[in-house]
Amino acid sequence: MIERARVALLAALLVVGLTVPALAQKPVKIGVLTPLSPPGDAAAGQFIVRGAKMGADDVNARGGVLGGRKIELVVEDDSGTPEKGAAGFRKLATQDQAVAVVGQFHSSVMTAVQALAEDFKVPVFSTQASARQITEKHLNYTFRTHVIDPDRCQMWTRWVKERGFKRAALITENTDFGVGLVDETKKAFASLYPGAELKTIIFDRAVVDLTPQLLEIKNWKPDVLLNGGIGTPMYLIAKQAYDIGLTPAVPTLISYDAPARPEYWKNLGEKGNWASFIVYYHPTMKLTPRGEAFRKKYMAEFKEDPIYGALNGYSQVVLLADALNASKSDKIDDLLKALLAGKFEGWNGTISFTRGEGPYWQQWTPPMLVTQYTKPEMPFADVKIVYPTDLKTGEWMPAPKR
Amino acid sequence: MDALLLSQYVLSGVVIGMIYSLMALGITFIYSIMKMINWGMGEFYMIGSYVQYALIVSLVGPGRWYLALPLAMGAVFVLGLVVQRFLLRPMFVGGIERRDEYATIITIALMVFFRNLAIVLGGPNQYAPPDYARPVTLGTLPISGNRFVALLATLVLLGLFYLVIKKTWVGRALRGAAQNRVGIQTAGIDVLRLDMLAFGGGVALAAAAGALLAPDFLVYPENGAISTFKGFEIIVIGGLGSILGSVVGGVLLGVIEALGSVFVSAAYKDLYGFLLLIALLVFRPTGLFGERERSV
Repeated sequence: MIERARVALLAALLVVGLTVPALAQKPVKIGVLTPLSPPGDAAAGQFIVRGAKMGADDVNARGGVLGGRKIELVVEDDSGTPEKGAAGFRKLATQDQAVAVVGQFHSSVMTAVQALAEDFKVPVFSTQASARQITEKHLNYTFRTHVIDPDRCQMWTRWVKERGFKRAALITENTDFGVGLVDETKKAFASLYPGAELKTIIFDRAVVDLTPQLLEIKNWKPDVLLNGGIGTPMYLIAKQAYDIGLTPAVPTLISYDAPARPEYWKNLGEKGNWASFIVYYHPTMKLTPRGEAFRKKYMAEFKEDPIYGALNGYSQVVLLADALNASKSDKIDDLLKALLAGKFEGWNGTISFTRGEGPYWQQWTPPMLVTQYTKPEMPFADVKIVYPTDLKTGEWMPAPKR
Repeated sequence: MDALLLSQYVLSGVVIGMIYSLMALGITFIYSIMKMINWGMGEFYMIGSYVQYALIVSLVGPGRWYLALPLAMGAVFVLGLVVQRFLLRPMFVGGIERRDEYATIITIALMVFFRNLAIVLGGPNQYAPPDYARPVTLGTLPISGNRFVALLATLVLLGLFYLVIKKTWVGRALRGAAQNRVGIQTAGIDVLRLDMLAFGGGVALAAAAGALLAPDFLVYPENGAISTFKGFEIIVIGGLGSILGSVVGGVLLGVIEALGSVFVSAAYKDLYGFLLLIALLVFRPTGLFGERERSV
């Protein structure tokens, strides 16, 4: 009898001994849901994944989270479409049991998945989706560490005003981002630059021939063209505006940082020159120690300056690791509390998620700058910051006549 | 109304309509001979654009796009022969009763397969070959040199196509097959071989459109979607099975979109072609040059 009890005790100890370390080593999964195929901006998604992976590697190299558990990334492609985004989020939340999902780029997809985030009680992070309504809904599980469109539109309106352009034409796509861009720019022009005229054209995102729309704009004789395309449409606008002689005679401002990517010059050649574009990161920026370490590693690995999407993807994974450690738990309720209470070291500042008014809800905003290319094949590291005035490193230049 | 803008829109519509008519011609040519719709036509356009880009950047060089064009068409022609021989031929020799359904399933499967293959092989990003020519002014229309070149090349290809169909023995055989597949076999012609030629030739026309428009409309896995869309619009307008209808339908679609852009708004450009299409379906379902199907 005693012998039997001893064997049973030994077996129990063996089972406990084998399973407890296994449980302790179970990785904590973080989902990365981002566009990795068309019609989404797949290049943007690739940079986000690159940064997120470096974030996970960084955390794991420092011993992981919650006393030694590794971070495991589960990457899903949303193709920039709400239906694929929703399917991907469901998989991450249910099958993969991710504690949070980062990587959201397209506002239309983010708008679809944030409702699911509430249902499944899994935090979702906008990495580069900027539509106002995303954080304006005041949802508990939605976080953003990216600019919001009202701020973007106010900024480009101030830039247009500073340059003295009286007639601005905005061409953009029929997505949540594009439609929001038109609404916010109209509001910004009405409040900040009442004397100026604004013409807006929204086109279907699937359309490839934008000649009629651009001819209409050219015929309207604008002083500046605001390019609100994302991914392929941004390139189509830039190419076709040049071909009909609209740009660079009429200056152009691109709504986001795609021109900072290496493929910009490959796709546009000299047609991409003289474009001004909004960025959130510039190689001359002073970064946090964490951001600086990431930049060095990134440059050593990829032989190029990091792109903002990579910096933001990295920061979101690392701040989630910080929040997990602060909460001392992988329970999502505890993680949520830690996210709201904590201050986290981001790539260029301290990130915190306060519950402010309107769209400033669980929202942290990076800087926004206007930069300009002034010669073909110009490296992004060489571009001058031309706005805002207090940060500029060079003067904005009009293109010489063709 | 601004006369300058109107003339620019109409010219722009005619140019793009002519180029899209290559797609429509490919669709209608395949239909005429094989009596099937190739739903994957846009993917052959896409493959044409990828092959053209690859040849220009790695083999012939940026100034010799005109050498890459026939090579891209040739490569897609051969691909078309292979697809027809191994995937589509069974519907004529395998005793398949529901040929339409078979062709629809196969060509839609090909569409998904080629699109994903492009992502695997070339990545999801967009590419652009260097410009074929500097921007030019066509009448009142400032236009991309690429599009001007594409217009000229389209006219040449349409002319060659016409000559082959009207003046050669193969063309006569193809016309015979279009009229009566059974009848032509009684004259000793191998209709299955003609099917291969028709499918290869049809998809090569789509590849030509893709290669010609690559610098303007970029090279990426989904770039064939809109041209397929336009191609099908054109054949409904011009009449399924009519070669003349493909050309006239293309130009008409371009002009209607242009006029709508002037008189209503350029923002809804793609809607106007659909309005024309709906009107034709109501009042002339066979299209402008299509013929009512006869049965005995």
